[in-house]
Amino acid sequence: MGLVQREMERAGFTTITLSTVPELTAAVGVPRVAAIEFPTGRPFGQPGDTEGQRAVLRAALRVVETAGHAGTVVELPFEWPEPPSRVRSSPAVPSPIVTLLKRKPWLVPRLFSRNIPV
Amino acid sequence: MNGFRFLDFGTRTLVRKWIEREPKREIPWTAPHKPLAESTVALVSTAALALAEDAPFDQEGERRNPWWGDPSFRAIPRTATERDVRAYHLHLDNRYVEQDLNCALPLTRLLELERAREIGRSAPTHYSFMGYILQPDVLIERSTPEMIDRMRGEQVDTVLLAPY
Repeated sequence: MGLVQREMERAGFTTITLSTVPELTAAVGVPRVAAIEFPTGRPFGQPGDTEGQRAVLRAALRVVETAGHAGTVVELPFEWPEPPSRVRSSPAVPSPIVTLLKRKPWLVPRLFSRNIPV
Repeated sequence: MNGFRFLDFGTRTLVRKWIEREPKREIPWTAPHKPLAESTVALVSTAALALAEDAPFDQEGERRNPWWGDPSFRAIPRTATERDVRAYHLHLDNRYVEQDLNCALPLTRLLELERAREIGRSAPTHYSFMGYILQPDVLIERSTPEMIDRMRGEQVDTVLLAPY
């Protein structure tokens, strides 16, 4: 996603990423990040939480107006209402790569290094 | 702020390894041309969302080769809701976004900000692609320029991207 953002910024748009893993987004080298400590799968908030979603959207867009330099990371002051132990983000059926690596764990370093088998 | 707090152990380890491997890059910068209240805003989600009548993202291809992810993108009109859209991401629990599209692509919330004149307008078109792509060449060289062309055609000023 960060690489896409870089291309869009270079093309003349003012861009920002709302990121639940801002350490990774920032490492790619993007102009602006709004960091939020929410689980993956619902970066703008819980289903049905209209007020909360609007507040997150508004806060992320505000960063576009306030950020003054490339590489700005602003931590948004939102708190997820559940502890990590109560949060489920993985799908009921594990993804194909997870299933494969359970069967062939010696391939895990290749995922780490993105050294993809051909 | 701890972006690792909600990640499971395997994902944490993976993200740390990927961060270590990122080269230092010069960061592009486009200053806002106008205030947000006059800007056209487009959203981008990596939840692999597509209109029900559009081609699905290629889940079979990924099942055949788990190292591959569909690098295409889909356009989503500004008035779409969860009733119009399907989620094809195989790596996350899609129940939330199926229940309420605004969890990942807040089109209805953006229309509300437009009505309240907090933004100029929501762009006619918004975008989604699939976040699990280990080799991003097609995404960057083909899909991204197409999204950019379309955004230019719709006079977009500001892009908010939300990894899924």
